[in-house]
Amino acid sequence: MWRTALLVSMLALGLAAADDLGLNRRSAVTFQAPELSSVHRGTASTVPLQFRIASGFHINSNQPKQEYLKKTELKLDPPTDIVIEKITYPEAQELSFAFAPEEKLSVYSGNFSIQVTVRPLQSVLPANYAVHGRLNYQACDKAACYPPKQLPVSFEVKVVKSAPGIKRNPAQSPHAHS
Amino acid sequence: MKRDPIVLLVVAVVISLMLVFGIQKTRHRPQHSGEKLEGQPAPDFSLSALDGKTLKLSDFHGKAVLLNFWATWCEPCKVEMPWFVDLQAKYRPQGLQVLGVAMDDASPKEISEFAKKMGVNYPIVIGKEAVGDEYGGIPYLPSTFYISRDGKVLERRFGLVSRSEIEADIQKALATPGQVAQK
Repeated sequence: MWRTALLVSMLALGLAAADDLGLNRRSAVTFQAPELSSVHRGTASTVPLQFRIASGFHINSNQPKQEYLKKTELKLDPPTDIVIEKITYPEAQELSFAFAPEEKLSVYSGNFSIQVTVRPLQSVLPANYAVHGRLNYQACDKAACYPPKQLPVSFEVKVVKSAPGIKRNPAQSPHAHS
Repeated sequence: MKRDPIVLLVVAVVISLMLVFGIQKTRHRPQHSGEKLEGQPAPDFSLSALDGKTLKLSDFHGKAVLLNFWATWCEPCKVEMPWFVDLQAKYRPQGLQVLGVAMDDASPKEISEFAKKMGVNYPIVIGKEAVGDEYGGIPYLPSTFYISRDGKVLERRFGLVSRSEIEADIQKALATPGQVAQK
């Protein structure tokens, strides 16, 4: 029985310690890597990137109303021949907080998604390509703000041959005769 | 003596709960190295003010100092600043000195413009992380330290607190013994 009691204590302690470490080390925003997306050469495709903001926190949107606030911004460093055509941010929430109830802030909270439009050039070889980058954000809770942070972001795209019917460069296409 | 298994289990659960709550209580406090800063001499520093001059904390020895770490990107900090302006005016004759430390990556010009816009009537210095570390680390803003007339840390407050709490801390700092400042 002593063993059971000891085991119960150790388990509870372990859980508490693990939770504690998690809280201290985790950032206010986490990134959920998307599943591998297939994209056709020469064609623009959208890859949705999912982020989660921890409960009780908010971050500024990509277009905060107040000039001094740090905007949330995704910076990507794609491989050569993979073009990032567009980054689309979600619609912001207009919220007021206890620290300034008369003021509306343009923020994200909870889960949000950033749409990344990628277009592999026609010249790129079909293969998997990793796109690395970072999400710049600055989080606050109801009473305090945390220093600006950079969350590493990466996702993979599987480049496949051009979709049928796409003939951007007919002279080099094996299907040019059709 | 025969050990009752139920009693043992209850004891184990109680001990576990106490430990878990202990850990949780600890983690809800800011994680710094300077847990015992209160009552200790406030670490002195020498930082550039917005007017280009160098200010030292020790320049204000004899005054009750409200040392406020803030940043332009911190919305709750903006809530406190007008209070500091009022309280600085109200308690200046009694020896209060509010001192802002901008923990910002904005340029001094931007910080200066921001401070002007906020009507700040107290000096602001450009902060350095090392100074924050001296104060046990500044994990988030606003963070405010109340320093007695004889240069010791009386209180520190993390996050936005009410004006009445700020005023109470100021009065506590002003009530400390020490030489009356001549500045």
